[in-house]
Amino acid sequence: MNEAAATPKRPPRKRDNKDPLGANSEIARKLKQYYSSVVADEVPDRFAQLLNKLESAETPRDKG
Amino acid sequence: MPTASFKTDLLGAIPSLRAFAVSLSQNADKADDLVQETLMKAWDKQSSFQLGTNLKAWLFTILRNEFYSQMRKRGREVQDTDGAMTARLAIHPEQDGMLDLEDFRSALDQLPPDQREAIILIGASGFSYEEAADICNCAVGTIKSRVSRARTRLHEILGVNDDSEYGPDAISTQVLGSGIP
Repeated sequence: MNEAAATPKRPPRKRDNKDPLGANSEIARKLKQYYSSVVADEVPDRFAQLLNKLESAETPRDKG
Repeated sequence: MPTASFKTDLLGAIPSLRAFAVSLSQNADKADDLVQETLMKAWDKQSSFQLGTNLKAWLFTILRNEFYSQMRKRGREVQDTDGAMTARLAIHPEQDGMLDLEDFRSALDQLPPDQREAIILIGASGFSYEEAADICNCAVGTIKSRVSRARTRLHEILGVNDDSEYGPDAISTQVLGSGIP
């Protein structure tokens, strides 16, 4: 008989080296969710202040 | 590059730098120190940044180098004792099969650092395998195998099946399975 029809399993694609993570896996989705929750954190002012300081310390002698 | 636009680009990169730093250092305060150090280094080296190349990848590389050089300075084995402790704590998925975000974070923390950074760079920060290999200064194949091992390990820790793509089939299987004594 037709064995392929009797077993609806798709061939395993685990070994697909192009996508070791599996873009649609639960792990991949959780990873994105976790990461975007950290990215969405409010950025403390200290970084903008630091860059302002670095900028104002820059090149008073050379208008470049 | 004009200083003002370099500065704007750095500001724009801060949220993802912080997220990467938290993933590496597993500690919010240390992460922010790392980001600060990275911004200062980047500012000093801005003339060595090549316009038209990927600023985010360049910054991630600086941050990562800074992280590992601090680790070496502290003379501390990378996270080993903590890892051994937490590895014993098994995490079980909620009854509906969906993972709690906090559980996921804790599972991520249990990964060896090289696997954790690889899966973060590829799965979350949006880098290609080539870019991730550049950032980590290793071969593309190494990144691939780290990602693959990280995935397997996360499946083990979290108790989800490999290949469980959360389609309708996977969910109904779980529902049916859980009802059978």
